[in-house]
Amino acid sequence: MRYIKLPAENFEEFFNSLKAWGKVYGPVKRGNIHSFQEVQRVKEMDLYYNRTMLPPKKFFVRPRDVILRLKNGKWENGVKNEPFVIFGVHSCDIHGLKILDKVYLDEPADPYYKARRESALIIGISCTPDEYCFCKSLGTDFAMDGFDLFLHELPDGWLVRVGSVRGHEIAWENEELFEEVTEEDLANFRAFEEKRAKSFKRKLSKEGLADMLDLAYNSPVWKKYADICLACGNCNMVCPTCRCYEVCDKWLNAYEAVRERRYDSCFMESHGLVAGGHNFRPTRLDRFRHRYYCKSYFDPSAGFNCVGCGRCDEFCPAGIEHVKVLDEVRGSLQ
Amino acid sequence: MSENPYVSYDARILEVKDLTPREKLFTLRFVDPEVGERFDFRPGQFVIVDLRGFGEFPISICSSPTRRGYFQLCIRKVGRMTKFIHRMKEGEVVGIRGPYGNGFPMEKMEGSNLILVAGGLGMAPLRSVLWYAIDSGKYEHIWLFYGTKAYEDILFRDEVVHLLKHGEAMNCSVKLAYEVESPSCIYLEKGFSDRVCKGVVTDLFRGEEFDVNNTYALICGPPVMYKFVIRELSDRKLSPGRIYMTLERRMRCGIGKCGHCIVGTSTSIKYVCRDGPVFTYWDALSTRGLI
Repeated sequence: MRYIKLPAENFEEFFNSLKAWGKVYGPVKRGNIHSFQEVQRVKEMDLYYNRTMLPPKKFFVRPRDVILRLKNGKWENGVKNEPFVIFGVHSCDIHGLKILDKVYLDEPADPYYKARRESALIIGISCTPDEYCFCKSLGTDFAMDGFDLFLHELPDGWLVRVGSVRGHEIAWENEELFEEVTEEDLANFRAFEEKRAKSFKRKLSKEGLADMLDLAYNSPVWKKYADICLACGNCNMVCPTCRCYEVCDKWLNAYEAVRERRYDSCFMESHGLVAGGHNFRPTRLDRFRHRYYCKSYFDPSAGFNCVGCGRCDEFCPAGIEHVKVLDEVRGSLQ
Repeated sequence: MSENPYVSYDARILEVKDLTPREKLFTLRFVDPEVGERFDFRPGQFVIVDLRGFGEFPISICSSPTRRGYFQLCIRKVGRMTKFIHRMKEGEVVGIRGPYGNGFPMEKMEGSNLILVAGGLGMAPLRSVLWYAIDSGKYEHIWLFYGTKAYEDILFRDEVVHLLKHGEAMNCSVKLAYEVESPSCIYLEKGFSDRVCKGVVTDLFRGEEFDVNNTYALICGPPVMYKFVIRELSDRKLSPGRIYMTLERRMRCGIGKCGHCIVGTSTSIKYVCRDGPVFTYWDALSTRGLI
C-alpha cells in the first residue's frame, strides 16, 4: 500500500480535480436520510454520515435498468461506459461491492455490471460506527483493496491510501496537492483506528455461524420473527449484497420495446414461484429463513454475504435486528 | 456464445407438433448456420427462449445431441409466455440463448445400466438422455419408467409405444404407469401386461432388482415425486452418488446472477441454473431445500 497525505487546505481542490474523470457522486443529506447524489461542490456533501439508504450497489446494479432495446425485431446492446466517481464510500460498502463482483464478474460476466465497474472510480472514506454497525465482527470494517483511493481523517487533513494503479495515477496528476506522510500522521491514523475499533456497540458472533444455522433449521425463533416481519422487502433493497433481479419486457410504442431489470426481493411470494403455480418457498417463514441463510453463507473466497453495514436494521419497519435474530437462533440450540 | 450473454440468437421454428392438448413439440434450427454449428449441448441442459418484447423462459432441451442440425423443445401451455409460443407457427422466429446448466454426466455413466424415471412433463429432459443413450449404444441396458396421468397425457406417445414394442432390440425396456383409466390404457395394458399398469411411477419398481454397482438412476418429475422414487432406489441400496435428478426453479438469467434459483442454507448454497439443474441425491442430502 502507498500512503500519502492530503492537507486539509487542498481537499477542495483535490475534490474538484476529480470532475475531470466524470460525474462525481457523494453522500448528501436530505431530511434524515443520506444518499449518494451527483455533487458539484464539497459543501454539498456530508462526509460524516453513517450510512446511505441505498448502498453504492445502485450505481452498478441499478434499481431499474434497461438492458436491451428492441428495434426491428433485434435486441440492441445497451452496454455503456461512462466514467464516474463515487466519493466517500465506507469500507463495509467496498466489501459489499467485492461480494457483488464475485457474482457478477464470474464467467460469464454480466456486461453491464462489468462496464460500470471498470468506469467507476471509488474513493473511500473513514467513518465512525453507530449503534447499528457490526462490520468489525465480520472483518469488513477495514478495506485492503477494492478502492482507488481511501481517505482517513487526520487532525489537519487526510491520510490517503492508494489502492490501485488508477488511484496512483490520479494522485500523480495532482502531485502538488499531496505531501509525504510523517510519523505524526501515522500515529494519528493508528490512534483513530484504535479508537474506532473500540467504539463498536454491536457484535455478531460468527464462530461456526454457518454450521450453527444449518443445525437450527427448525428453530422456533424463525417463526417468531417471521410473524413480526412485514415481508416488505426493505432489507433486500437496502442491502449492499442483495442482488436478486427480475426481468420484464416493456413496449414503448408499436415498434420498440425494452428489456428492463429491476430489484427483486426474496420476501416476495413470486420469488420462488414457477410456471404452473408451484412455489418453492410458499410461506413467509420459508422466505424469512432463506434470507438469513443467504446472508450467512460463507464463501471461502469472498467471505460472508453480509458486511455488517446495519442498513437492514435501520430501515426495517418492524424493528427486526439481524444480529439479534442470529443470536436468538443460536440461543435456541442450547 | 455472445459477448453479451443476455442476447439471444434467432432460431426458426421448423415444425410444431401437438403432443397432448397441453403440450406442443417445437423443432428449431438456428438461422445463422455458424451459431447452429457452435450450439452443442448435453442431455439435461436447458435453453432460455426469448420472445422478444414479451419475455423469456427456461425450457430443457428434449431432443438428443446425437441428432444434429436441429433441437426440440417440449412446451406445456401454463402461462402467458407459453401461451404466446403455442400460437406461433412453422417458419416464425424466436430467440434462443444457451445451452445452460450442467446436464447429465453421460460420459461418466458409459458402460452402465441407466434407469430413467419420468413423471409427467419430466419425460421431456429424459427423452434427450433416452435417445442419446440408444443412439450412442454405449450403455449396458436402459430402463424407462414413465408415470403419467392419462393416456392422452403420454408425451411422445408414438415413441413410447414403439419402444414398448421394439425396445428390447435397442437394449431398452419401457414400463408405463397411468392413473386415470380409459379404453386406450386398458388396451395398452392388455398388450403389454407385464409392463403397463394402473398406478404411480413407483409401482413400476415392484419386482425389479438392479445391479447397484453398475447402475445409475436419472429422475425428473414433479417435486412430490422425488422423495418416493428415491425411497425405492435407496431401498435397493443404490448409492446417493448414483442417483441423478434434474430440478426446476424459477430462472431468469440462466447464468447464476439473478438469484431466483438459489437453494440451500448457510453451509451450502447452490444456483440451480449454474450448479444444476442436474444434481445427485448426495447433493440433496447435503444441501437443504434442493428437493
